[in-house]
Amino acid sequence: MTEKMPEQELKDRLNLIETMIAEGRRKTESWGWTFVLWGVAYYVAIAWSSCGHARLAWPVTMIAASVLTGVVVSVRSGRQPETTMGRAIGSLWGAMGISIFLLLMSLAWSGHYESHTFVAIIGAMLGMTNAASSMILKWKMQFGCALVWWAAAVAACFGTESQSSIAFLAAIFVCQIVFGIYGMVVESHKRSRQGDNPRGSNQGAAHA
Amino acid sequence: MPDELPELNPVIHGKLRLALLSLLAGVEEAEFTWLRNRTGATDGNLGAQLAKLEEAGYVVVEKKFVLRKPQTLYRMTEAGRAALTEYVRALKQLLGGAIEV
Repeated sequence: MTEKMPEQELKDRLNLIETMIAEGRRKTESWGWTFVLWGVAYYVAIAWSSCGHARLAWPVTMIAASVLTGVVVSVRSGRQPETTMGRAIGSLWGAMGISIFLLLMSLAWSGHYESHTFVAIIGAMLGMTNAASSMILKWKMQFGCALVWWAAAVAACFGTESQSSIAFLAAIFVCQIVFGIYGMVVESHKRSRQGDNPRGSNQGAAHA
Repeated sequence: MPDELPELNPVIHGKLRLALLSLLAGVEEAEFTWLRNRTGATDGNLGAQLAKLEEAGYVVVEKKFVLRKPQTLYRMTEAGRAALTEYVRALKQLLGGAIEV
């Protein structure tokens, strides 16, 4: 078998290995929708808390958004293979979510809640998570989101209460809604280019 | 050409088995349907080739239920990774020999 194998076939085997390994490692997860979902959740919580139910609005909205995210992710992940990169990104956001939830709930229930601190904490933590995620994914656009969140955190420390609120609302719009929609569009284009259909572009491997 | 050509592992040499092992090298685990979509193979052929890889100890299979739906997950073993690495090394050695001629 080995002696009669033509050089081109050997090269084809190497190409097949490289192509398939790259195919497996290709990022197939879709996360754009989570940004939009959480952006909407923030807006709902803000609107609800402005009606005078701040202590109820944030925990209920955040828990509802977490449950919804968890359910959708578990359903979708069944269709995709787990990759180290996917797990790294998921862990990062999960850990950030738990930290932010514990901290803000403790501040609210202990009576130490203060709007400047609230925006500064959320801005700093979302800035850190977006920055770390952008470095793992080598996604410059997401690093831009980190910069916006950090700017909102700094503005919350120095600005008035209304300036702090405006910075928070603007950051949510840019980094959650706009970036989330942009992410969904990019992911949609990638999927259509990859040809995710069952009889896609990898017919060459279909026969043993 | 070198005096002794390396032997290519016949278990991995099959094109679909090679593709499957390479796909699994890039992920931690993969579902049957994902592997089918990526290779374009039929269910029967894919199942047969995966069974051969499993028999050789190159992949392990795990069957479970997610939201009441059956799911079959495949994972590459250390032996599989070592075999693929050795196969690539042998291929490169053969290519080196071919180029030298």
